[in-house]
Amino acid sequence: MAAALHTSSLRTPALQARGVRKSFVSGRVHSTVLHDLWLDVHAGELTLISGPSGCGKSTLLAILSGLQPADAGGVLALGQELSGLGMRELEYFRLQHTGFVFQGFNLFPALTALEQVELPLTYMGLAKGMARRRAIESLEEVGLGPRMRLRPAELSGGEKQRVAIARALAKQPELLFADEPTSALDAANGQTVIDILHRIARTHGTTVLCVSHDPRLVGHADRVLAMEDGRILSDHVPSSPPTASEAKEPSA
Amino acid sequence: MVALARKTLIHEWRRFLPAVVAVGFAGLLQLLQAALVLGIFGSASVYITGSSADLWAGYPGTQSVNLGRPISEDVAMRLRMDPDVTRVEPFRWVDADWRGPRDTGGVSVFVSGIDTRPDGMMFSRALPPALRAKLNEPGAVIVDKADIDSLGVNIGDTAAINGQRVRVVGVSSGLRALGGVNIVSSLDTARVLDLDPEGAGMMTYFVAKLRDPSKATMIAKRLSGSDAFGPYTVWTAKEFARQSQLYWMLDTGAGAGVLFLAGIVFLVGAVITSQTLIAAVIGSIREYATLNALGVGRGALRKVIMEQAFWVGALGLVCSIVIGIVLLIIARNRSVPMELHPLTAAICLLLSMALAIVSGLAAMRSLRRADPASLLR
Repeated sequence: MAAALHTSSLRTPALQARGVRKSFVSGRVHSTVLHDLWLDVHAGELTLISGPSGCGKSTLLAILSGLQPADAGGVLALGQELSGLGMRELEYFRLQHTGFVFQGFNLFPALTALEQVELPLTYMGLAKGMARRRAIESLEEVGLGPRMRLRPAELSGGEKQRVAIARALAKQPELLFADEPTSALDAANGQTVIDILHRIARTHGTTVLCVSHDPRLVGHADRVLAMEDGRILSDHVPSSPPTASEAKEPSA
Repeated sequence: MVALARKTLIHEWRRFLPAVVAVGFAGLLQLLQAALVLGIFGSASVYITGSSADLWAGYPGTQSVNLGRPISEDVAMRLRMDPDVTRVEPFRWVDADWRGPRDTGGVSVFVSGIDTRPDGMMFSRALPPALRAKLNEPGAVIVDKADIDSLGVNIGDTAAINGQRVRVVGVSSGLRALGGVNIVSSLDTARVLDLDPEGAGMMTYFVAKLRDPSKATMIAKRLSGSDAFGPYTVWTAKEFARQSQLYWMLDTGAGAGVLFLAGIVFLVGAVITSQTLIAAVIGSIREYATLNALGVGRGALRKVIMEQAFWVGALGLVCSIVIGIVLLIIARNRSVPMELHPLTAAICLLLSMALAIVSGLAAMRSLRRADPASLLR
């Protein structure tokens, strides 16, 4: 049935949350973070979820990306139902289809930029030469070609985040999840990262789901969802800025 | 494949150093302890290992070579009758009391009365022929160079054993005894020194050479079969040496001590190593969690930890081997009794590697904290 749903329309959602509910218990306090949430995320778009901290946006990201199970409801990712999958199956799904960019860069201090990007590729079973080629391509795409032999200690914050993006991008994932990717960066580097994420959605047809409260991102998203208290309050397409940035983009 | 484990080990060597040192020291301690124990208790059987005899015949039930009782001369006849035996030689053991020229008080000594012929089997590996020949002089004895101080003599000095006058004609090396001092004399001298009326004129052991030493076990069994020549048992040299060493090891409680110490060393080493590895895992926990988010399985991450543990173990072993060899050479030059067989060394090193692996397994558990969902804050 999932497959039928997937092929039935042209703009099939790449990600679908269907009545997702999640609550946490800490001590005797029982708090519901997500209330029966329904959501479609479309392929080839940069979708931004914004909202105040504690509104449940990160939890939603964790559930949609298969990092955390929902208490109730289902998640359909690329036509595959994620709820009910075991840990290994989820790992395999993530290995094949997803990329992640976190707020912290989480790079191994011992590895060069090139090795950081190559590492997950080798676990995907790619041949050595193939992994190397893809890693170099991705690093060049984020503008780090000349600096790929450097270790994290020799890179700036913005460069580290670009390595992290390249690491996700090199897997050629259909789904790319980003959690506050710009909040640890200054304005210029934040802008660069935003541009890269946007370009990935456009040129690779990747579904980019980004969680952030960074207002700079709003103008670059194809769609902005505002969340509060575990519910989606508004869902809109930002008006002029995206086109403006798109006009700029080739030169970026 | 990106060699994450090795690259991290090299890049963060300061972090891993305590673990390498812990494994290295644990290995070194095990090695030296084993070498020392084997060396010390090996001297319990120096009479056997320093001689070229294949078989030893002695009083039944003798637990260690120093505990022999007199046996009948007929046993020598029985040995000679066997077609596989080519030569038989007596060995007389006398427990005696030494009074040296200087004021050393009484020293308990073990007199070994041996056949002084140049081709004699007893102590053929410890005494050169020229030194043996000097024993032919009545009252002549040889002492070990390690015991010269405790006996208070020099070559040429006279002393008294069991009240009989003896003269030190030479010094041997490698004949250090356990629990006393070894003195070598001729069979005749030893008979004079023996005051025990019960064993008068009787030998303690008969040792024999075989045409084919590889059949020793079978022949020893065959010769031990009958009691027609009085009570006696025949052991192979190897068996008797082992039995003597084991007796000392268990009798002195050293065996249990060694095992206890080995356990402590293992435990302390494992605690340090596992804590170091755990700290290394925790230090990279966010990176591991990111890899897991990207779909790298927990099994693959565990493998990285185990590989790290293996390299820590291997580096530690290299350290303990190098330092161990240096210390063994120093010990040998200072005639500290140390002995190490390849098998024992391999067991010690294997134990250290096991230590590293066990620590790796302990560190692997902390990988559970690598929860990718925790990165989303």
